[in-house]
Amino acid sequence: MQETRHSFREALKQLEVQALGGLDLVITALDRALEAVSYQDVELAGMVVADDDLIDGRYLEVHQGILSLLALQTPVATDLRIVAALLHVIRCIERMGDQCVNIAKLVPLSGYESPKDKDILDAIERMGQLARSQLSQAKEAFASRNVGLAQDLVRQDTEINRLNREIFRRAVEIGDDVDTREWAMFMILVARCLERVGDNTVDIAEQVVFVVTGLFREFADASHPA
Amino acid sequence: MISRDTTSKEATDMSTAGGPSEQKDAKDEAPDTSAIGVREGEGHAIQVKGLKAFYGKQEAIRGVDIVFPPNEVTAIIGPSGCGKSTMVRCINRMHEEIPGAHAEGSVTLDDLDVYGAGVDVTSVRRLIGMVFQKPNPFPTMSIFDNVAAGLKLTGTKSENLRETVHRSLRAVGLWGEVKNRLNEPGMGLSGGQQQRLCIARTIAVEPEVILMDEPCSALDPVATLKVEELIDELKERYTIVIVTHNMQQAARVSNTTVFMLDGELVEHAPTQEIFTRPKDERTERYVTGKFG
Repeated sequence: MQETRHSFREALKQLEVQALGGLDLVITALDRALEAVSYQDVELAGMVVADDDLIDGRYLEVHQGILSLLALQTPVATDLRIVAALLHVIRCIERMGDQCVNIAKLVPLSGYESPKDKDILDAIERMGQLARSQLSQAKEAFASRNVGLAQDLVRQDTEINRLNREIFRRAVEIGDDVDTREWAMFMILVARCLERVGDNTVDIAEQVVFVVTGLFREFADASHPA
Repeated sequence: MISRDTTSKEATDMSTAGGPSEQKDAKDEAPDTSAIGVREGEGHAIQVKGLKAFYGKQEAIRGVDIVFPPNEVTAIIGPSGCGKSTMVRCINRMHEEIPGAHAEGSVTLDDLDVYGAGVDVTSVRRLIGMVFQKPNPFPTMSIFDNVAAGLKLTGTKSENLRETVHRSLRAVGLWGEVKNRLNEPGMGLSGGQQQRLCIARTIAVEPEVILMDEPCSALDPVATLKVEELIDELKERYTIVIVTHNMQQAARVSNTTVFMLDGELVEHAPTQEIFTRPKDERTERYVTGKFG
């Protein structure tokens, strides 16, 4: 017996590299969006919005590549699961890119000299670090088919969710100053975007388990919380 | 013991109605086959236990246990020489026709021991029909006579013969294409039509099980799809076992799939599982083309 379908296997590998490379694009967009929030850098925020075309382009390339593989190579078994998972992963990447854009678009709206709250800013910064870490870990877990690493993302995401709730509570209690309250409302939206990024990395982690085991199981079910 | 008399009675009792739906009614009127262990009016399962098949001293099947469920399509896949064709040929005792070949173990159709002492081989092959890789209409016979060939052997009366031939041609979707040229040679049909003609010949004698050994490998894609659609219709009435090299065909037509390797059954599971998450690493490697 000898190994066959070399070109198909190579094409599938390339497609995976291309899709997971989309996570690097999201990390770059997230770093810039968070820096723009921290330093009120409207110009940098504009770059995040403009560069989202790169992520959208990557989505289209991978999507087309998946369609071609399905039509021309009819993958089955593990190969089919990888293709199906990549379709899901690239959709998550596109959505996370959009969340970075959402954060960036809030930068000019939140005011140039608005009063800020250190607790909220620290929590946003911490959420950003966690989201970034989860993006890297999701990529590594998928590339190495590491179920343990994938499941660990749920633990990290719990912390992001906790910080999201904390920012909401702090914003509610922030006081009567109109400008401060308005700024705090924008930060709630930023926190919500970061929470969504974290959630998407958990979705990718679920796909890792699907690729490895053939079984799909939600790690966390928002409609039926544990 | 299976007797030819039973077959003759069944043929003469056939309904004169036409079309696939009527064929089921005709089947309801079939004679009592329970005396020979084949249950009437329900699906018919094939059970294989400890099957070994030999060509001389060479062991081609190495002890296979499997049940082919009633009214389902079971596909057998595997690389060349894995024993899949040998296995189906053992089910209706065609394997023993090859000089020096023999089989051990048991094959039962319901309660009928196919290899039982005194069992009539011809009747076994009527109950368990076979469709081959290459369409093989009788070259000197007309379209009509090709379908009628098996019936004539069973002594079916001429008026029932005509109705049964028409009904069988309708059942395989060939009636509209050949009704005005029934007396023309069967060899004049296209490859796909010839294969459907052979399937009509197989079902004309009212089998319980149909074995198909790569039935589409000589057909073009359109003819292949027609045969596949036919298989889907036929499973309502028959238990079908199909050997195929085309894994996508196995995926399209079968309820369960068997993967064989080196004369052994590696995995038998619902087709969806075999092609999405096979349990055995050897199955995974075969269906994904990691070896071939």
